[in-house]
Amino acid sequence: MAISEDRLRAILSWIVIILVGGPVTGAVLLGVIHGDSPCILCWAQRTSMVLIALVGLFVIRYGPRPRYLGMVILLGAWGTFMAIRHSALHLARDVGQGFSATIFGVHTYVWSWVIHFTVLVVVGVLLLFLRRVAPDGGIQEPTRAGRFATGLFMVVVGANALQAFVSTGPPPYMGQGDPVRLSLDPKHWVWAMEELQPPRISLRGSWDIPAPDPSAVDPDPSKGPLVDLPALSVARWETVDVPLEGRLSGLAFDAASDRFLAITDGYGVYLLDGTLSHVVHHVVLDRGFSVDLTPLAGAAFLGGDTLAVLSTNKSYALLMPDPDAQESREWRHFLSTDGRMTELRLSRFQTVRAHQMYVLSLAFDPSARELITVSVPNPRHRQLVVSRFAREDLVLASEFQPRLGAGLALRDPDRRLAEYVVTGAVVADGRLYALSAAYSTLLVIDLETKAVQAAYALPGISQPVGLAVRGEELLVAQQDGRVGVIERPAMASDEGSAESS
Amino acid sequence: MEFLNFLLILWAAWLIWRRPERERLAFRLLVISCVLMAVLFLIGTHGSLVPGVNL
Repeated sequence: MAISEDRLRAILSWIVIILVGGPVTGAVLLGVIHGDSPCILCWAQRTSMVLIALVGLFVIRYGPRPRYLGMVILLGAWGTFMAIRHSALHLARDVGQGFSATIFGVHTYVWSWVIHFTVLVVVGVLLLFLRRVAPDGGIQEPTRAGRFATGLFMVVVGANALQAFVSTGPPPYMGQGDPVRLSLDPKHWVWAMEELQPPRISLRGSWDIPAPDPSAVDPDPSKGPLVDLPALSVARWETVDVPLEGRLSGLAFDAASDRFLAITDGYGVYLLDGTLSHVVHHVVLDRGFSVDLTPLAGAAFLGGDTLAVLSTNKSYALLMPDPDAQESREWRHFLSTDGRMTELRLSRFQTVRAHQMYVLSLAFDPSARELITVSVPNPRHRQLVVSRFAREDLVLASEFQPRLGAGLALRDPDRRLAEYVVTGAVVADGRLYALSAAYSTLLVIDLETKAVQAAYALPGISQPVGLAVRGEELLVAQQDGRVGVIERPAMASDEGSAESS
Repeated sequence: MEFLNFLLILWAAWLIWRRPERERLAFRLLVISCVLMAVLFLIGTHGSLVPGVNL
């Protein structure tokens, strides 16, 4: 089957009629009947469809010259990009949510995606079957369908121009990001140039988040946002005395089994005995299959034999020692293993307030049966968010930004708790102990009142990566493998309860 | 600016229909209109030029 040039013109006439008479006219009618008013992105996508139809008129009049074909492919590709970019704003929202009008239950920005993609497919098919054509066929008198297509095009584009005048105004005014409904009453017309503000141009916007780098922070407690903090000193040092795959990036302790869980930035997971000198089990996770794992940053015992490790992007793996682990099954999970560990689950935490923020810590609250992460600030989002996930389904249970408790004061009003970069966290006695590598500070957060109950300077520690509790001791794990032992400070309510008991 | 763009498109279509010998001018209007459309879209997305999702 082959398509002659005359047949191509006839086909294109109908394509122009369908394109202009369908989506472009439908968009105008949405405005006239339902008051739908396009945003600046919708306008560009509608204009792109009109321009594709205009190229069709060129071909109807002058034949399929290469530059026309090049232009329609560029428009189809650019229109597809525009539709994807626009739809991405809304595709991941909750069920039934979107922006403005729908046609057959599908929003206009998604229809634009379908239409531009279809244009590319149709052009490809037409070129596939097009016979060789003369280099320059000259000016052709349009057929009846061609004349109708041209006339319809003029009428519909004229209607669009009228709507554009009402909705966006004459130059230099332009479309708006959040337009009001269409009205023919001039007192309701909004002519604005709001899209030119602010002038900042970004490739990825709020998604341009650098990976966290706790080694770049200032460790000096005297420069932190909180003033007059009492200091806690390291009573003695212990050492992770086993060879590790990568550098130590997190540590947890389980009193019931007298074991440590150590993780590394090389995706190594090590179950160690209570002396930190003997490996009971170890695996190296496969970071690429199938959930993306960024470097491991948090570890916790979840009760029983279940171990949890967390990467900076909030992906997590649940593991369990298993003497009957099947090598063939676990090969897909681990790059290396001692053969006695099973992966129970590999997935991701989803947050709301901590969205687009990395984490560097993981804790487990046994009384609430919740896993806890603490966000670290980035140039786009400066917040300290405590996120809690139910152990049962590992779905977000609650989130909060801790407030400042009584007796604590900021150095000046511009300073914020969000300046702290929490790299280790542990729960004990209903409190979240959060250790910040920035300003070497220990925050004690009351999980009931959601307030920072106390804070302590920890001079002398360097690049802390994990925090664990062993009885009345806090264990501060450093990247170099050393573990500082600090006496856990007594809280006011502890003293009160001690007195009352 | 969208209004201006539709006027340019109407002008190009009118040339194709009534003054077909002015093909070069009509095509230039098409190119100008495409550029204006692209610029307006980029202005609308200046805060994040590519989709705001994991790439």
